This record gives sequence, C-alpha cells and structure tokens, in this order.
Amino acid sequence: MADVAIRTEGLTRTFGAQVALADVSIEVPRGEVLALLGPNGAGKTTTVRLLNAVLDPDAGTMRVLGIDPVAAPDELRRHTGVLTEHAGLDDRLTATENLLAVARIRGMAIEPARRRIGELLERFGMSARADQRVAGASTGQRKRIALARSLLHDPQVLFLDEPTSGLDPAAIRDVVAMIDSLAAEHGRTVILCTHFLGEADELADRMAILHRGHLEAFGRPADLAAGLWTGIPASLELGGIEPDVAADLVRSLRGVIEVTVDGSVLTLQITEREVLARAVRELVHAGADVFAARPETRTLSDVYFEVERRRTGHGSTPDPRSSSGTQPHIPPPPPPPDTRNTQARS
Amino acid sequence: MSTATDWGAVRAVVWKDITAVKRSKAVVLPMLLLPAVMLLGLPVVIGILAAGSGPMNVESLLNGLPSNLAEPIVSLPERQQAVVLVLGYLIAPLFLIIPLMVSAVLAADAFAGEKERRTIETLLHLPISNRDLYLAKLLSAFLPAVAVSWVGFACYLVVGNASAWPVMHRLFLPTWLWTAVILWLSPAVAAFGLGIMVRVSARARTSQEANQLGGTVILPLVLAIVAQTSVLLLAELWVTLVIGAIVWSVAIALNVRGARRFARNTLATKL
Repeated sequence: MADVAIRTEGLTRTFGAQVALADVSIEVPRGEVLALLGPNGAGKTTTVRLLNAVLDPDAGTMRVLGIDPVAAPDELRRHTGVLTEHAGLDDRLTATENLLAVARIRGMAIEPARRRIGELLERFGMSARADQRVAGASTGQRKRIALARSLLHDPQVLFLDEPTSGLDPAAIRDVVAMIDSLAAEHGRTVILCTHFLGEADELADRMAILHRGHLEAFGRPADLAAGLWTGIPASLELGGIEPDVAADLVRSLRGVIEVTVDGSVLTLQITEREVLARAVRELVHAGADVFAARPETRTLSDVYFEVERRRTGHGSTPDPRSSSGTQPHIPPPPPPPDTRNTQARS
Repeated sequence: MSTATDWGAVRAVVWKDITAVKRSKAVVLPMLLLPAVMLLGLPVVIGILAAGSGPMNVESLLNGLPSNLAEPIVSLPERQQAVVLVLGYLIAPLFLIIPLMVSAVLAADAFAGEKERRTIETLLHLPISNRDLYLAKLLSAFLPAVAVSWVGFACYLVVGNASAWPVMHRLFLPTWLWTAVILWLSPAVAAFGLGIMVRVSARARTSQEANQLGGTVILPLVLAIVAQTSVLLLAELWVTLVIGAIVWSVAIALNVRGARRFARNTLATKL
C-alpha cells in the first residue's frame, strides 16, 4: 500500500536464548511519527536494526517504503536515515569530514555534499565546529552533528534513537520542532526511540510500547486510551452551590459515569466532551458559579504508565497480542476497578 | 545482493579510514617504527661496519648459497662481498615482515577499532553492501601496508647505496631479487595476512583483542611459514615469482571467502 511506510508482521528476533523481539506486528503510515517506548532492553534498538536491514529476522515479514529489508537492504538504506543512540562519530575526523564520508558513501558528489553539510551544520548551530576534530565536542554537540548526518540525503524514513539526550533545553526545543516539521510538512516518517515521554507526547501520532521484546501496546494514544479507560476525565470548579447538591445534579445527567467531590471541585468521568458542556448549562441554570470546566485528554504518558501499571499489576508479561492496521492493541484490564491515572509524567 | 562493486562507496570508506589513521599516533607510531629500524637503521649500520672494519670473511656464508647466487658475489672485491651479500640478499626476506605487520595493525583497527569507538553501527546503517564494506576495510589496510613497504624500499635504496658508497663506489641496489620481493611478493604477503586479520577483527570486540589474537596466535604462524619459505627466495628469481604467485592465490582465496562470509547480521549481533 503506497501510503504505508512501515509494516511488520510477526517480526521475531532472538540472540541465543534471549528473545529480543517476539511476534511484533505494526503498521505506520507515511508522514507519521511512531514513538517506540519501553525500558532498556525492551527491543527498541533491535527493531530499528531489523527495519534498516542491519539485523536479519528469525521469523516474520517486514516492508519499509514497500521494500523488503532482507531482499534489498542497500536499496532500502538509500532512503532511510539513522541516528544511533551513540552519536557514532570518529573523534579523529572533523565534523565536516565525518559527514563528508557518509555523504560519499551515499553517492553524493563532493561539492553538493559540502554545501548540504554546511547548511545542516548551520541549522544545528554547529558551523563553528565544522572544521574542528570531533574529539573535543560535548555530548550535545556530537548529537547535533550526528543529527545533521542522518538528514544529509533527506531520507524518507528517519530512525531516531534518543535524539534529544544530552541536549540543552533550547536545542531540545529546536530538535523537537525539526522532527515535527519533517513529519507534518515534509511527509517524512519518523521512528522515535525515546525515554522522554514529554517529547514523544508532543511528536508521536502513534506509540508502540515494548517490554522484553513483546509488544505491550500499539496504536494512536487516543485509541489506546479509549480501550484502557471507560470515559474521559473532566473537572468542574464551582461556587454558589453546595458541592453535594451539584454532584447529585451532575450525576443525573446522561453520559456521566462517575462523580467525586473534592471541596469545591467535582471530578467527573464522562462518555464524551459534550456531556461537560451540558453539565455546565445545568449548573448555571441551577444558580451555580462555574469558575472552570476542563475536559482532559488522556496523553501518551497516561497511556504508557497505565499499560505499565497493568503489566506489573498482573505480575508477569501478558501474552503479546499483535495488531495490524490501525486498530489499537492494548493489554487486558487490571483486576481492580479503573481509577484516574495520577502518576507523574516524564 | 548486487553484483557490481560500488567503488564510490568503497573509496569513501578507504578515505575515511586512512584520514583517521594518519591522525592516530597510537596506530601510526608502531606501524612506522619497525620499517624505520629495518629500512633505515640496518643499512646504515652495515655500511658503517663495512667501511670501518677490514674485509669481513663471508666465505662460509657464500658456501652455503646456491652457486648461481654466490658466484657474482665471490667475483667482487673482498670488502664488497659482505655489503652485497647482506644488503642485497640476506635482508630481503626480512622485508616481508613489514607489510605483514603494518597490515595487521591496520586490520585490527578495521572492524574491532570501529566497535571500540562505537562508530561501526553508523557504518552498518549506510547503503554499502557487505562485500563492498569488507573490500573497503581490506583496502584500508592493504594500501597503506604496500605504500609503507614501497616508500620504505625507496628510502632503503637511497640509504643503502649511500652508506655502502665508501666501500662500493657505485649504486648496487636494487637487485632483481629485491625488486621481485618488494613489487610482487610483499603485497601478496600483506594480502595473505589481511585475509586472516580482517576476519579476526570482525569477530573481536576491541582492537586490542584483535591485536592479541592476531599478534600472539595467527601472525606468528604466518611468520613461521614466511621464514621457512624465505630461504627459497635466495635461489632463483623465478622461485620468488612462483612463491609470490602461490601466496597471491592463497591470499585471494582467503579474502574471497572472507568477503562471502562477512555479514552485517553477524557483526551487529555482537554490538
């Protein structure tokens, strides 16, 4: 399918007795950002290596831009760019020389390559270091040079392993904006391996949560959230009415699942956003002052922590239930009743 | 797997590796030390000894040589016999150590060094085939090894002729034997050593591990074989050419097999 950038079915890879990836099936449309999430050893880097034909799978199939990485590895790698976890720059060469070597391996002519390198180093604020050896560069500077290297040939698919680790806040903001622009404006597909959920939250259209090689969840955060929780959370900050009276009034409305009172604030579980608007109208009609009414959207971070909570709540890794297409793949619900996720966000 | 070699990509890897190696004292110094001692120090010492002492008795040595080799030397004045024998013939087989050593040092750095510096993964993610990557790494070690041998030989010719001038009063180097050893046999020995060392490097985790494995187990075996066969070099020119052809054949076979068996997947599994 032309608008699918990446598709895997039953992708499996082991290293001896260790399962690095087990029966993973995902599908990422072109121009989207997929956040690959999970703790160290989850299988994120193995996934990237498999998708870019550096490792061979033990089982399963995959297509990246319609290309089979096993059958046409070099053809595939012409269209992909990779930022590895370690910047992977040769300390003995200058920033320009590091990039020029890669440009030449990619078949770029020297002069256009030099121009492109100049532009990219400028874009990442590395012009001053262009002709200095990498040996003296900081972690953040190396990361920026390596990012420039991954973009040299304007790849269709970009694999970014921890792109913002080691960067200062301003550089993080720039890199996040750059990734967003690559996907949203230039139609590039980005696979983002990260431990920074805030960054993933901001960028990702889809998320895949891996744990010890098993796919714990895959899909759009909103779709996953819909499967994880019943209803959406909302809050009402009130005055001029007894909270218990207000709670009873709201509880009587259709679409309200649950109401809890905390001082002058009502916390609700509702089936859809419009229910909150109805509640506000009814409360105002009853003479209440409504200081704030906030429907809250479940974020990628909420989904991540809920999936983790459910997994650890079961005490063992649930069976991987891979999903294909755009259907979300979510873990089974936990034994205790659903509660609002109040864990801190990364 | 594509059949055509992407020479642009191969050249780029070779350029990167050689540029980096030139800036690495830890690699360059040991690589140049032995050639400097052998190619420059030895002829100077021999020249000084020959000029400073009286005629050296090399009759017993000459008696041990094949007659076709000994006869032209015996016909020389007595003071010149030792100089021609040592500088013109006996040192020649020792020169085979130079390309072997230089290529071994560079080959150890080829893959294991990249792993150590954590640059190998970047290389594996680039559009260069397994075979071309192996070829590039082979050439990154082979070309400098041959260059060091040839440049060193040119220096040896100058120093050897100059230091022996007070005794010889003429240019007596290079001999045909030297020419054959340097231009034909020496690159073959380098390629032979590389056929082993590049594969060792691909399996080792660090260049130190590759050097240890190569330097303590494999290269001594290769050197022993070279030492055993080097006596043959003193016989006839054609023998040198034939030995060269045999070493080339083995080296090519080793490297073709190495290139066929080299796989990213294996290398990446150990990252």
